[in-house]
Amino acid sequence: MKWLRVRELVRKEFIQLFRDRQNRPLLVVAPLVQMILFGYVVTTDVRDIRVAVIDRSRTPESRRLIDAFDGNATFRVTHVLQDPRQLDGLLLQRRVDLGLEVPPDFSTRLRGGRTAEVQILVDGSMSNMAAVRIAYSASVLDAFNSQLLREIHRRRIEFGEIDGRVRTWYNPNLDSQYYYVPGIVAFLVMLLSLLFTSMAVVREKEAGTMEQLIVTPLTAGEFILGKTIPFILIAQAQMVMVVLFARLWFRVPMAGSAFLLLVSSSFFLLSTLGIGLLISTVSRTQQQAMMTNFFFILPFFMLSGFVFPIANMPALVQWLTHVNPLSHFLVIIRGVFLKGVGFSILWPQFLELGVIGGLVFAAAVGRFRKQLE
Amino acid sequence: MSARRIQAIARKEYYHLIRDFRSLYLAFIIPLLLILLFGYALSLDVEHIPTAVVDHDRTPESRDFVRRLDASVYFDVVAHPPSTAALAELLDRNRILVGVVIPPGWGAGLKADRAAPLQVVIDGSDPNTAGNTRAFITAFIAQANEKNLLDFLNRQGREPLRPPVEGRFRVWFNEDLESRNFIVPGIIAVIIMIVGALLTSLVIAREYENGTMETIRSLPVGAGEFLLGKAIPYFFITLIDVLVAVLMGQVLFGIVMKSSFWLMILASTVYILVALGTGLLISVKTRSQLVANQLAVLVTYLPSLLLSDFVFPQQNMPPVLQAVSKLVPATYYIDILNGLYLRSLSFGQLWPSFLMLALMAALIGALNIRALRREGL
Repeated sequence: MKWLRVRELVRKEFIQLFRDRQNRPLLVVAPLVQMILFGYVVTTDVRDIRVAVIDRSRTPESRRLIDAFDGNATFRVTHVLQDPRQLDGLLLQRRVDLGLEVPPDFSTRLRGGRTAEVQILVDGSMSNMAAVRIAYSASVLDAFNSQLLREIHRRRIEFGEIDGRVRTWYNPNLDSQYYYVPGIVAFLVMLLSLLFTSMAVVREKEAGTMEQLIVTPLTAGEFILGKTIPFILIAQAQMVMVVLFARLWFRVPMAGSAFLLLVSSSFFLLSTLGIGLLISTVSRTQQQAMMTNFFFILPFFMLSGFVFPIANMPALVQWLTHVNPLSHFLVIIRGVFLKGVGFSILWPQFLELGVIGGLVFAAAVGRFRKQLE
Repeated sequence: MSARRIQAIARKEYYHLIRDFRSLYLAFIIPLLLILLFGYALSLDVEHIPTAVVDHDRTPESRDFVRRLDASVYFDVVAHPPSTAALAELLDRNRILVGVVIPPGWGAGLKADRAAPLQVVIDGSDPNTAGNTRAFITAFIAQANEKNLLDFLNRQGREPLRPPVEGRFRVWFNEDLESRNFIVPGIIAVIIMIVGALLTSLVIAREYENGTMETIRSLPVGAGEFLLGKAIPYFFITLIDVLVAVLMGQVLFGIVMKSSFWLMILASTVYILVALGTGLLISVKTRSQLVANQLAVLVTYLPSLLLSDFVFPQQNMPPVLQAVSKLVPATYYIDILNGLYLRSLSFGQLWPSFLMLALMAALIGALNIRALRREGL
């Protein structure tokens, strides 16, 4: 192992990477675009529920019910309609999220002490948000009922009322940026280390310069180091950039240690660089390498808990997320940023990352050597 | 424009594809993988939230409350830690997302008609799940209170015995409230971008890298012919992917198009042209496969996943990004898919989105021709 040779290869790689004028801005712009997209877009928060109302009763009681919805901060009555068919149209065009239909006998039933039914039509197309809208509507109706019952029985009512004091930990304002922006570190490091490593090796094959490298005194180990070191450096630099941007622009608080983050990213890089090298040993063209990369990146991304919560997955798939290095790295990043937990809590993730990384990297180096010889 | 020259370029591209068997094979495997993942594994519906209860009370009342919480579809009581500290550790370790602490004397308070405080702690780190969780627990407590109030009034022997107003919820368009029903159709838009735009982003850049662009320049082939020839093989691959996705959605997951199949094919055709055009344009402009690939991920894959109203509603985005999302072709394609799959809309209602897609296809085609002419074709 001669460090001089490794250094020269690293230098060549950097020159190749930065010689291309389009590449330089891309290395900075790509992380920024992703941060802005994930920071501002990835939220399925239900803030503003648009309601269309058909009031067939037109009584003080029915207006009170409508006011109960309109007065709630999350609901907004946007249309008052006469004809139910108009409601169908509004729901079809996605102009409203809910339709509230008060029957003609609403107040007579209420005054007679009988249950009055109101019909609530829900646009279910985005089911996750629809479920929340239904829960909010049910809460409004329950509160309305309790108030009505208290008024009907004018004496003071003191019953065993459950007073749910709901507190939210780690991210009290449910700020989606706090959750997604740190996660981008993981996604970026993965994209860069997988894609760039494999493409850099395959480019030599495609251009025919691999043959030239083989006849030089460069050993397989030196070649691997030379091809991976540039991307380790760039990945770590991008990571620092993202963390700074998250802290300064999105004002994401960082409760835990930055050092732990740096250590964990090296563990993570071991597995992604390993996979990148493996891909390069089985690809002849860059197109092939790219498609193979996507074959890994997509499931890694989808099954990491980055956007789709692991808790929602079937048990078998939840178990599968254990072999996904990205899922462990995300737990560490989010634990460090939001929960401020340290190694004593996160050691299982470090262990699993280390085992996956060690195995994959060893396999990659083994295969690579064999191919070079 | 000569059909023979187009055919010749298409055949050359076809040979590239056939020779590169694995790219071709992955162009079919990746869509299958995505559909299977989204159909079976990924769900946005927050249900069975892992919950821990610290019951300091241990009365029939508290046990009844926990039992009913566990019986709801939203909460699964998975742990009974002995103390609040143990609960906090479970939250730290991601074992649970909600903790409920029932203080001593809780059941006695309920029975004595006094207010009974209950502490609920939610892991807020994932704001989407936490928001749902908060809505569900609030609704659950409101419902329990309404029942307690009615019980109280009944015990006092007063009318009414039933709640005054009852909400009858009817869900439209996605009657069983499964996220799969809107995600599986929407994923077709992402598949088209991955296969169509990412694959084509490499094909002209490859000619530059291998130096064969010089050869092509010296051939009597025009810009339009070159473009069509390059696009045709990828057009068919992507179209086959769309058909496979539609078929799998229907056979495996019972997701049936409510409206016309042919309208869907028409929309897909136009959208595929937009995707291929974007990929080829990136390819001509960058001349490097690595750069082209990165750029394609940035301008085609990520926007179609994030800005298109696919799973993240545009109404939640800041105004600037809402404006940007109007420039993303996937926005219009997703709108059409949503209309055809869930709402049984007709062309009469969807034509604005069709028009936008057609305009985008024409614009990207023109930009491509201009870029290739500048390259001397």
